[in-house]
Amino acid sequence: MAKSDDLAQIIIGCKNGDSKCFSQVVDMYASRCYGYFYRLTGNNDVSDELLSELFVKLVEKIASYKGGSFDGWLFKIASNIFYDYLRSKQRRKKLLDVQQEQLESQFTEPKQSDNEQIDKLQIQLTRLDTDTRELIMLRFYSELSFKEIALTRSEPIGTTLAKLHRGLKKLRELMEG
Amino acid sequence: MNSRNEENLKELFETFLDAEQAESCAEDVQKAEEILRKHPAPEPDAMLIANIKAEIAMRLPAKRAYVFKHIAYKVACAAAAVIFITAIGLNLFQKGPPKPNGMQLTSIIPTAIWESDDIAADDADLVIFTAEIEQIEDEVLTLQLGEDDGNGDRSVSELEMELIQINSDFWKG
Repeated sequence: MAKSDDLAQIIIGCKNGDSKCFSQVVDMYASRCYGYFYRLTGNNDVSDELLSELFVKLVEKIASYKGGSFDGWLFKIASNIFYDYLRSKQRRKKLLDVQQEQLESQFTEPKQSDNEQIDKLQIQLTRLDTDTRELIMLRFYSELSFKEIALTRSEPIGTTLAKLHRGLKKLRELMEG
Repeated sequence: MNSRNEENLKELFETFLDAEQAESCAEDVQKAEEILRKHPAPEPDAMLIANIKAEIAMRLPAKRAYVFKHIAYKVACAAAAVIFITAIGLNLFQKGPPKPNGMQLTSIIPTAIWESDDIAADDADLVIFTAEIEQIEDEVLTLQLGEDDGNGDRSVSELEMELIQINSDFWKG
């Protein structure tokens, strides 16, 4: 309870334009949000970019936060940013047909040569479809309950449960296989 | 709304599946999430975090100015609306001179004459014309009865001339 009271105070500070409160929010959520973006994109530079965009959006949209789960609200923005990024990537792919294979390998099949610490999990995650991958990462990094996730995604809780169970089961099989 | 820590996965699955399946599903989820925990994602760079904080600090004054402008516009709009509604209430936008309360009728003929039955007494000209007409009527009657001195054509012509003159004088006023 004390934690949620603190968060409420910080959010009030953010609404009043207090930069220290925004810094506190960044400290509290940067790690989780970065993990969310990284596991979805598999790329450090893109994750850096998306994380910056998320906190810029936070400054712009904090006035529209009307209570409820702040984590759910923030990760909803993160989810929108990720899907916007995907759409822009697809547009780029269409425009640059010549570079299509290069872009695909960059984003969907990460390699050690990218000078990044690519783990087995990241490779197996690319075998899942985007929606399932996003749902698993939302559940893991947002730390929201299933009810909150279903609300964030505007779908029935049964659908969320079924999709997540299927996705996690498949991921587990891939990781153990 | 339950937080994730208070959430009972088995109970949640039991709302859709039987007890055995629900337990199996809950186990699947917990084991898969354990794998995710064992493979943490990289942490954001400290420089990135510093840059983000600097960017936020830079954007805040601009946002405050934007919010101030936004509020000022809202207040101005609200004030304009209040003034407009008040003005409508006070009929400030009524065009032209004020409308009369009712139709007022009047006559060019003085009320005394209009109401009097004795027209000859009210207008001297009318008295003269009336007397002349009566005189002519008598003369015409005399002629018709043959009481004239025999020079009938001349008398008729004279009467006609006289009538024309009277008519002309009448319209001249």
